[in-house]
Amino acid sequence: MSTVLSPTSDQGTGGNGVVVASSGSSRRRPRRGRWHNSIGTVPFLVYLALFLGVPAISVIVTAFVNGSGHPTLSNFNEAVHGVYLQSFVASLKLSFGAAIISTVVGLLAALAVCSSSNRILRAIVTAGSGVFANTGGVPLAFSFVATVGNFGLITKLLSDAGFNPYNHGFSLYSVLGLTIVYQYFLIPLMILIMIPPIDALRKEWVDASSSLGATRTQFWRWVGIPLLLPPILAAFIVLFTDSFAAYATAEALTSGTIPLVPIQLGSLISGNVLAGQTNLGDALGAGMIFIVVVAGGLYIYVQRKASRWLR
Amino acid sequence: MVAVTPTVGAKGVKDKGSDVLKLGKPFRFGIIGLVAVFFLVPILASARYSFLGNNNTFTISAYTELFGTNEFWSTLFLSVKIGLGTVFLTLALLIPTVIWVNLRLPHLRRVFEAISLLPLVVPSVVITLGVITSYKHLPNLIIGTPVILALEYVVLALPYSYRTFDSAVQSLDLKTLVEAGQSLGSGWGKLLRFVLLPNLRSGLFGAAVLTFAYCIGEFAVASLLSFTTFPVFLVQVGQTAASQAVALSLIALLFTWIPLAVIVIIFAQRRNRAAAIDAVDPLEAGVQV
Repeated sequence: MSTVLSPTSDQGTGGNGVVVASSGSSRRRPRRGRWHNSIGTVPFLVYLALFLGVPAISVIVTAFVNGSGHPTLSNFNEAVHGVYLQSFVASLKLSFGAAIISTVVGLLAALAVCSSSNRILRAIVTAGSGVFANTGGVPLAFSFVATVGNFGLITKLLSDAGFNPYNHGFSLYSVLGLTIVYQYFLIPLMILIMIPPIDALRKEWVDASSSLGATRTQFWRWVGIPLLLPPILAAFIVLFTDSFAAYATAEALTSGTIPLVPIQLGSLISGNVLAGQTNLGDALGAGMIFIVVVAGGLYIYVQRKASRWLR
Repeated sequence: MVAVTPTVGAKGVKDKGSDVLKLGKPFRFGIIGLVAVFFLVPILASARYSFLGNNNTFTISAYTELFGTNEFWSTLFLSVKIGLGTVFLTLALLIPTVIWVNLRLPHLRRVFEAISLLPLVVPSVVITLGVITSYKHLPNLIIGTPVILALEYVVLALPYSYRTFDSAVQSLDLKTLVEAGQSLGSGWGKLLRFVLLPNLRSGLFGAAVLTFAYCIGEFAVASLLSFTTFPVFLVQVGQTAASQAVALSLIALLFTWIPLAVIVIIFAQRRNRAAAIDAVDPLEAGVQV
């Protein structure tokens, strides 16, 4: 790509000064240099403001007004009752369950990989995790239909052995089914996240504690777990938000029949709106943003704690 | 900010393996084996499912019927077009911005990185709703055509593209290169074409592949704005012909895995060379659509 766009040539475009003043502020620089120094970032910031800021703010603002533009809280009242309350509960259940399983499995796998001296295994697991963590969406849904769907391979093998899971309350098209499907991208993500802190762990502290004669239990009790806890919590939050916001896999599997927040919001957008629910979708959207922001705040807090030890 | 120090001595420890951390061999192989099975079985099951005809016969009709339909090719072509448009826009936005930030505002590098992560805060379903409510009055040329998809995909893929390109720029000694070029009398155009971009090839390639893969797989925004891109077509097929949808998914997975594997390997090598501790950050990895 030989794009002939130079930073200096951008000075003319999109001269919206408001954005720069709010986000490019630097207290360390003298006042005059400020404007001149940030001008090259204007197109980028304006672009984000237009295609991320405007839509996000419009959802939040619309959530607080009714159909004729008057301020109201009734959208939120609607959003925390009936099927919408159920969908928030189901979404939180799904995200918590999926994140807990992948945190445990991913952590064990990362420990296993890190404690092995086999370089090839390590390279394969890291590369594989990088690839699988980016797998999601519709193709993933269908490959699980072929695996544990009604006529899937595992379903068939289990029924041949006399145990058809679909006769025992299991369904791929449920919260439990989605929990399993989401592991396909959550576990690799967990492995990727945990390998660096585990590696950092072994470098200095492991040697120090073994030369001081610590047993394995003592090491984990006093050194390993306290050190790894912040990164594990941070990873858990990432996995949680990842599954909370995921839409494609659930929609492709259940065609919009499962009560999850993104799915409900999707069906409101597609036009299944009852009378008197004009801005209900915006309230659901604002609710989702709120949950993700809370999770993000926790993530930043925990990550600070983690990085204090790992630097 | 981040000290790029080669980790002295780390190698020695790694080769020995440490006593306290050592997990039992059966446990190690057990857990890795189980995880491997979990990841391989759906692929095998998909292959079996897609070749399964009536009465357990072997057939390739799921594949041949698919390639024969017009919609397969037209939706694939649409997705590729949107992907290329998004990649072009992304690079046009990223190249000047990231270079500018690293050169002129290095103390704000972290701030811009944080800004690039902001799209993660707004789930794509919510962005779609926002686009519908706030931009319904835009000219039909933008809101009524897939152009709007490309415009939004630039934002949605930004958390991945920005970091990839930024880490490439960071590994260059930007200031020296620029000063050397300028003292030899080259302007910005020449500097970019002959000095910076050739040095940033792997970063550009990584950002482009991640963005393109995101666009090809994105379902939520496209389907809610009623554009029949490739993943939307895939879901439509799935409602009537499951084995065709599985066949198509298998192809789609393989075709995204190959380029992703290439960039994962390239960047793993680079990271080994740089050995930056800052790899603790998890968001480098996951693209969820």
